[in-house]
Amino acid sequence: MMPMMGMQPQIILLKEGTDTSQGTPQLVSNINACMALADTVRTTLGPRGMDKLIHDDKGRVTISNDGATIMKLLDVVHPAAKTLVDVSLSQDAEVGDGTTTVVILSGEFLREAKPFVEEGVHPRSIIKSYRQACNLAVSKVKELSVSLEGKGDDEKRELLLKCAATSLNSKLVSGEREFFAKMCVDAVSCLDASTLDLKMIGMKKVIGGGLRDSFLVDGVAFKKTFSYAGFEQQPKSFNNPKILLLNIELELKSEKENAEIRLDDPAQYQSIVDAEWNIIYDKLAKCADSGAQIVLSRLAIGDLGTQYFADRGIFCAGRVPEDDLQRMAKATGARMQTTVNNLDKAVLGTCERFEERQVGGERYNLFTGCTKARTATIVLRGGSEQFIDEAERSLHDAIMIVRRALKHAHVVAGGGAIDMELSRALRDHARSIPGKAQLFINAYAKALEAIPRQLCDNAGFDATDVLNKLRQKHALADGSGKYYGVDVNSGGVVNTFDAFVWEPALVKLNAIQSATEAACLILSVDETVKNPRSEAPDASPMGGRGGGMRGRGRGRGMMRR
Amino acid sequence: MAMGMPYGLQAMLKEGHKHFSGVEEAVMKNIEACKALAQMTKTSLGPNGMNKMVINHLEKLFVTSDASTIVTEMDVYHPAAKLLVMAAKAQAGEVGDATNLVLTLAGELLGNAEVLLRDGLHTSEIAEGYQRASDKALSVLESLVLPGTDTLDVKDKAAVALRLRGAISSKQLGYEDLLAPLIAEACIDVVPSNPHNFNVDNVRIVKIMGGALPDSQVVKGMVLKRDAEGSVKCVENAKVVVYAQGVDTSGPETKGTVLIKSAEELEGYSRSEEEKLEQYVKAIADSGAKVIVSGGAIGEMAMHFIEKYGLLALRIPSKFDMRRFCRATGAVAIVKLQAPQPDELGFAKQIEVREVGGANCVVLQQDASLGSVATLVLRGSTEGFLDDVERAVDDGINAYKALCRDARCVPAGGASEIEMARQVADFGKKQTGLDQYAIARFAEALEVVPRTIAENSGLQASEVLARLYAAHAQGQVNAGVCIESGAPKDLAAEGIMDVYAAKWWAVRLATDAVVTVLKVDQIIMAKQAGGPKPRAGDGDDD
Repeated sequence: MMPMMGMQPQIILLKEGTDTSQGTPQLVSNINACMALADTVRTTLGPRGMDKLIHDDKGRVTISNDGATIMKLLDVVHPAAKTLVDVSLSQDAEVGDGTTTVVILSGEFLREAKPFVEEGVHPRSIIKSYRQACNLAVSKVKELSVSLEGKGDDEKRELLLKCAATSLNSKLVSGEREFFAKMCVDAVSCLDASTLDLKMIGMKKVIGGGLRDSFLVDGVAFKKTFSYAGFEQQPKSFNNPKILLLNIELELKSEKENAEIRLDDPAQYQSIVDAEWNIIYDKLAKCADSGAQIVLSRLAIGDLGTQYFADRGIFCAGRVPEDDLQRMAKATGARMQTTVNNLDKAVLGTCERFEERQVGGERYNLFTGCTKARTATIVLRGGSEQFIDEAERSLHDAIMIVRRALKHAHVVAGGGAIDMELSRALRDHARSIPGKAQLFINAYAKALEAIPRQLCDNAGFDATDVLNKLRQKHALADGSGKYYGVDVNSGGVVNTFDAFVWEPALVKLNAIQSATEAACLILSVDETVKNPRSEAPDASPMGGRGGGMRGRGRGRGMMRR
Repeated sequence: MAMGMPYGLQAMLKEGHKHFSGVEEAVMKNIEACKALAQMTKTSLGPNGMNKMVINHLEKLFVTSDASTIVTEMDVYHPAAKLLVMAAKAQAGEVGDATNLVLTLAGELLGNAEVLLRDGLHTSEIAEGYQRASDKALSVLESLVLPGTDTLDVKDKAAVALRLRGAISSKQLGYEDLLAPLIAEACIDVVPSNPHNFNVDNVRIVKIMGGALPDSQVVKGMVLKRDAEGSVKCVENAKVVVYAQGVDTSGPETKGTVLIKSAEELEGYSRSEEEKLEQYVKAIADSGAKVIVSGGAIGEMAMHFIEKYGLLALRIPSKFDMRRFCRATGAVAIVKLQAPQPDELGFAKQIEVREVGGANCVVLQQDASLGSVATLVLRGSTEGFLDDVERAVDDGINAYKALCRDARCVPAGGASEIEMARQVADFGKKQTGLDQYAIARFAEALEVVPRTIAENSGLQASEVLARLYAAHAQGQVNAGVCIESGAPKDLAAEGIMDVYAAKWWAVRLATDAVVTVLKVDQIIMAKQAGGPKPRAGDGDDD
């Protein structure tokens, strides 16, 4: 297999197996990939959006219309299209809602740019105009947003309800949106106003019952843990109990793994056994002496402990999930203890009422009326597992929206009204620009109309008709039509601000900025170089060798040519 | 295959080797490969340069216009082209900017050398001519230094930001006004009293997905992408104790078993361990420290006492972060869990947990007078975008370093290159030997910069060049390409300048690389060893 002398050797600049593609066709193919991805989620937008059923490789079924969830599950491999997945995830992290919007907007920006690229316009010119348009749109959103600062608490609450309802309206649970909106707002208002830590809202799912049977606990609720004999004799309800939270095992077991006992005298054997019993009894006694009526532990509480506590009228639960226990700590003011020595009153917490209740087919421990409550738990009920899962995601979005609205108290009119108004403002601005930037800003403006258009399409209305009505309203010289958006109930147009279809301005701002950034990123790429995947470091030696052989085989083939 | 016994090289080497020699086979092929490489990176040059999407062998996606990243990640195989890559890396190491200039210029120089070779010049004559031309070009470059730029107050934010704009705008056009002041602020925060000792490592970049680039900010101190361990989330004006190891009950390294002889010992065993730990934590609390930082795990029992004494516990698993944290707070990392001496304690103005883009981050704020670490928190919608901005910021920080050492600037936008080309061409005409041709070609190669900038901006390159030459002939030595109109324009007036050192090194390194490539006349590649493929990175067999 020697290379033949005198034959033209091949120039191999890059490693064998490297793919490169470049130029305009490459850009267009990237755009196409992104558009295809955007098309898969576009039908989920809005109150009349459809859901997607995703069956993943592990056989799990997910039904969702949350953009970020769908994008995550799609498992996109195309490098350019992955950018869109990133955008929706970042929107999810930053704002929590509007994940579909941001994907559709990026897709639409690219769709509008495609004809220009094909005609040979330099992508940089498009990017520049897009960025300019984005800045204009952002300042316009800020100008149009209505501030809620300085309003009374009742008024503010009303408003949060509206925002949560708008978010829920586009979800599976839209039928019960008022019910859930109230629940979300209540849950968020429980939280510590300075941090609004999302982890402090627990979400429990119990299959069975209807959506209406879901309820909010102003404290903590968790499923009854595994219990040993003696549990039945424990009291199951308390008023103003003292609560002790532990992080130790209350079981008879060896103290330390690395300890060994050697005895010289068999008579001592019994004393060692007694000592072990003493240790556990000592621990239990300390718990009981602390005055606690409820003992919760992250680790197991064995049957000895269960019986001991039952005898003293103390309720106990072992193996409580850690996040629940942490919320317990927040809610009751108790401090988690890793030792039972030196327990004092300060580490005990309290709440107004504790009870064990039947929820669906399961028993739940409920701690309600917590004094220092900075936490809340939502118990969701529903017919099927997928349904509850989706309801959970919807509530998560709504809760995020309420959180954002609390932190950043500006709202804009929903239902595509703000998008139409931005589109109009940009078109007006475009007319004042000489040069090709005019075309690109117009394209950007047109892309923004995709949101109301999609809302109509998804609701089954004639999008062109509705959009023209909207354009007419927004073009009114006195600006009276600036709050008009799509009315999904009648198929006409309506002043969405008066109809209380509101969204936080932050959602829109972030969506526009992220979508523009993503679109510009894709437009700015003119070449893709893909290296062959090297063997994973942990691959089996056989696999590794096989890969190497294949690589060499192919290399020779190339050289002989 | 030759009949009978092989002769010559073939007899000497093992079967399977590759061997190329002579101008046609070796030099030309090398040139071709280098040109192909330069062609790839060329479109990324200048403010309007396009990005490349590179997927490396680990399937990581890069979207960037930073030449050094592109060539590193695409894993160049050809030995001659690798020389260029090395030159680019040397540039990245030396000044951290203008790597693309090295590649593009080298590619162009080699392209021109090919023409000369076809004309019948010998490689050594070309190499000689190129060397002389580059010496001339560099002396021209020095004369081009913009007056007044050699002195710069590296603590003046506005002035520094203005200088950094050039470096940023070539990577992230449109964001330079946003990023330059941020970088300037961060760098000025940490620059020591002798600016020559500025350490790039003291400016950290933390990328957090979400939000948009305008939400980026500078934190005087550090940002760690993790939560505090305990329930204490915020302290102010606190003393800090740092443990390099974990904070837990200490056990011996050697495997040992505790031998218990009696029931009393068994009962007292865990109790004594608990007491010991409490003693430690109490000693820490008594020393005045309010923050415990641990390099390893914090044991549950230790956590219990830390909570009890109301301390903020923080875990920093990365040794590098730990080092920076010590530098930022002035703490001494203690190896053994013991009560800290007063001089081992550090000080933090404020440590708090903040939610940034859905993730909890620990933010350490320091006054300007304390500590010497600043962090740029970058926000953006996608990972790829953030990575690219990070590289631009990196270039900016490196440019600041270069400015601290040598603040001289030259006109940007191809102005210096055109002027160099003009003067080198004049110089070439005065030469008597054959190297005259090589010098003329060198001058021509320098034109590639304004030409590429113009091409990447969608302008008529030849027309732009002609107008530039006309402007320079009339004495406007600072005229460069205006990417909006294509007309010659003094960009220095707009504050767009290139760092002199970056340009100097780029020309130098490009010439050196080219000369090296030209002087190769034989390539001998031994047969690849069998067995499993060598790991990427260290096994590139040339």
